[in-house]
Amino acid sequence: MARSPWFLGDRVFWHAPDSDEIGYFGMPGSRQGGPVRLYWELGWLGFRSVAAYRTAAISGAITNTFFGFLRAYVFIALFQTRADVNGYSLSDTLTFAFVTQGLAAFVALWSWWTIAETVQTGQVTTDLSRPYDYQLAWLAQDYGRAVYQLGMRTVPPIVVGMIAFGITLPTDPLRWLALVPSMVLAVAISFGWRFGLNLTAFWLTDHRGIASVGLLAGFLFSGFLVPLAMWPDGLRELVTLLPFAGMVAIPIDIFLGKITGADLLAAYGLQAFWAVALLVGSRLMFNAALRKLVIQGG
Amino acid sequence: MLARLHGHGEMYLRLVAAQVSAQLQYRVSFLLQSFGQFVATFIDLVTILLIFNRFPSLAGWTLPEVMFLYGVGTLAFGFSDLLCGGFDSLSRMIKTGTFDRVLTRPAGTFIQVLASDLQIRRVGRIAQGVLALGLAISWLDVTWTPPKVLVLLLALLSGTIIFSSIWVIGAAITFWTVETSEVTNVFTYGGAELVSYPMPIYADGIRRFFTFIVPLAFVSYLPALYILDLPDPLGLPPILQVASPVVAMMFLLAARGAWELGVRHYQGTGS
Amino acid sequence: MAMIEAHDLRKTFRVHRRRSGGLLGLVRRDVQEVEAVVGVSLSIGEGELIGYIGPNGAGKSTTIKMLTGILQPSGGVASVAGLNPARRRLEVAKRIGVVFGQRTQLWWDLPLIDSFELLRHIYRVPSSAYHERLATLSEVLDLGPFLNTPVRQLSLGQRMRGDLAAALLHAPPVLFLDEPTIGLDVVAKARIRELLARINREQGVTMLLTTHDLADVERLCTRLLIIDHGRVIYDGSIEAIRERFGNERTVVVDLEHAAPPLCIPGVVVTRVEGPRQWLRFGRSDTTAAEVVSAVAASARLRDLTIEEPAIEDIVRQIYEHGVEPKRDGDAGTGQDDRTVVSRIT
Repeated sequence: MARSPWFLGDRVFWHAPDSDEIGYFGMPGSRQGGPVRLYWELGWLGFRSVAAYRTAAISGAITNTFFGFLRAYVFIALFQTRADVNGYSLSDTLTFAFVTQGLAAFVALWSWWTIAETVQTGQVTTDLSRPYDYQLAWLAQDYGRAVYQLGMRTVPPIVVGMIAFGITLPTDPLRWLALVPSMVLAVAISFGWRFGLNLTAFWLTDHRGIASVGLLAGFLFSGFLVPLAMWPDGLRELVTLLPFAGMVAIPIDIFLGKITGADLLAAYGLQAFWAVALLVGSRLMFNAALRKLVIQGG
Repeated sequence: MLARLHGHGEMYLRLVAAQVSAQLQYRVSFLLQSFGQFVATFIDLVTILLIFNRFPSLAGWTLPEVMFLYGVGTLAFGFSDLLCGGFDSLSRMIKTGTFDRVLTRPAGTFIQVLASDLQIRRVGRIAQGVLALGLAISWLDVTWTPPKVLVLLLALLSGTIIFSSIWVIGAAITFWTVETSEVTNVFTYGGAELVSYPMPIYADGIRRFFTFIVPLAFVSYLPALYILDLPDPLGLPPILQVASPVVAMMFLLAARGAWELGVRHYQGTGS
Repeated sequence: MAMIEAHDLRKTFRVHRRRSGGLLGLVRRDVQEVEAVVGVSLSIGEGELIGYIGPNGAGKSTTIKMLTGILQPSGGVASVAGLNPARRRLEVAKRIGVVFGQRTQLWWDLPLIDSFELLRHIYRVPSSAYHERLATLSEVLDLGPFLNTPVRQLSLGQRMRGDLAAALLHAPPVLFLDEPTIGLDVVAKARIRELLARINREQGVTMLLTTHDLADVERLCTRLLIIDHGRVIYDGSIEAIRERFGNERTVVVDLEHAAPPLCIPGVVVTRVEGPRQWLRFGRSDTTAAEVVSAVAASARLRDLTIEEPAIEDIVRQIYEHGVEPKRDGDAGTGQDDRTVVSRIT
């Protein structure tokens, strides 16, 4: 039976597995529609949901650029005293200052409570009754969001950084290529983390207080504020092992060319490990939340 | 005139007291959220510590000196954030029609909006500012004289007024654009970040803008020069270092003017 | 002295429309001038309870906003309690109460009594006067049982009564009400209407009532103002409007036996249900007495009722067709003539 997900209106159809009905568009490799198509559409939905707030994106880009500037000036002043910190030169940190702004938006490093809000408004019960995987559906939407913010929040600060501070982009195509898996995994890690934090809304009426500490931990340990390379030895190694490094620090280091060759594989491995761990972990949390719902009700 | 001020003050205090008591009913929530705020701002402090772990100085400023800037700035911004929540939610008031109600009451729009949204959880940031400033002062080697103490206290007050005025101006712009002017965040949160570091590190244009147009330099940098006996590489007249209160009042007047213009525009065009 | 007066009030809005989307749309915009209120004049005397109605977008709320000091008029002069709201907003505010049916002015999380206390300080009501007023209003509006309940826990009817009290705490001579019965059930509606009538009667508060519920108007108001397309198209008593525009009446006759539709000059049979027939006629064509005689002459009449045109139907007609009264038999000449009607006093 062809059924259209509630939020897509009547424009898109997908069919439950084991049915022979034709989907709206056929995707190569998928059975006339089916799950691939569904998640593609969900991603597109996530994109459109964020794209609707164009003014917010523009102001966000302006804020990002401003903070990029501030950070750049601080680094310039700092690097008057020494030329290099653990392989990070001034030009590295300047690039860092502007690119991480966009990266942070890309992985939604800041407060993100969309799912928790659905719990508070009760929208979640409708979402849960949908015939597809709750977590994966949100993950797909998050990728859509990430793509939009990649364009809107990443590009402007970088362009300004190039004009105002002369930062340069990598010329080696292999480096750009190496960046892609890392970025994909970064979103997965960030999503797993945020998904788990949002789920606390099932248990706590005031999840924001506690859960925002979780977000902040991510913020700090991701290497967004201070490049991990600049952290004290010893602490740095520990922090790198945390999931948050995979959100910002690893992608930016690949971008700057600090991670190459075999190290690259290790980096991917670390990111993949955390992506899986967080997705699985938050999924278990989700199951627990469902059980609670069934037992206790809304 | 004094009676009217007293009347305004009393009304303001009562409106605020009502909100505070309503929020305190949810004690646990308040504590958790303040804690969250504290941690959020604490991370900024950690950032400074991490930086100074690697670099001996920032444009000639040592860690305690930068901490001092950061502490003063955070306190000033924190107080303004606590007080000016109402201006931040002006956009919502206009959309829901609540602002119309404000216009039907026999009290100024400014004070009504000022009193409309005080979130006590924002003391988290203030607590963090106290911590930072306390640490800085304990690490610094300052010969405290009465004038210096006075300048510090006035700087905190002036800084609060300057940041508050930015909130007000941002809200006034809302009367024209209706959407929340997120650009205001650049000047408020961005401004808080900016005043944590010595002004000379910024490019000329930016520095001049934030000294003479949006006078953030008067929040922490210039008073710090006086209190910490630091030389001013920019060669500004030394009197400016103690001029924060005057500058703050002028800026506040400008903000009030912008507000009145905004209200008049609203009354002319509706929403 | 007229409590609420308006002389040729005008309000023109400049509406910006985006010509195209995107950033360019923010820059290039079509500016359209919308005349929301075009020369509204009215005069409401002390102690009157007036209904102010009109279709959506007619300019009702814009007029009210100008009278309460929310908006500045583009032209003309308003006077409320003797003062110009555009010039002396603060003083006018002290003399008016405003009840918005859809938005409460009470503080959501606080007990009702706390809201009253806050308003006391906002309106600078002296302590003794406040307690006296509160006691009276409490009694009239029966607030006692829930004075200490947080507003968010009140039922809609209770909240409305609370809002009414809040608006009257400072004893304003003028009260503006915008949809005060919206969303209420039948019982609550009746109660609010009764309370409004009582307050108007006992305390002489001048009231201007804006509503879409015409039963409100029918039950409460002696005079009715209809606004449409920014102009007052009717200003007069309810009776007059019925007389002037309620041209048709219907006599419902119950005959002894079912009969084919009666044939009477000037009468149209609109419905037949067994022995009951609905006979519609225009006032200008014949009278009820004549119709009844004619019926009695041609059939055995057992019982009858006479139906007056409902205000709602009259007003709907006016909304749809303007103030030219539709004569019986006119097949929708549809004259959209929104001529300003001179006042019928």
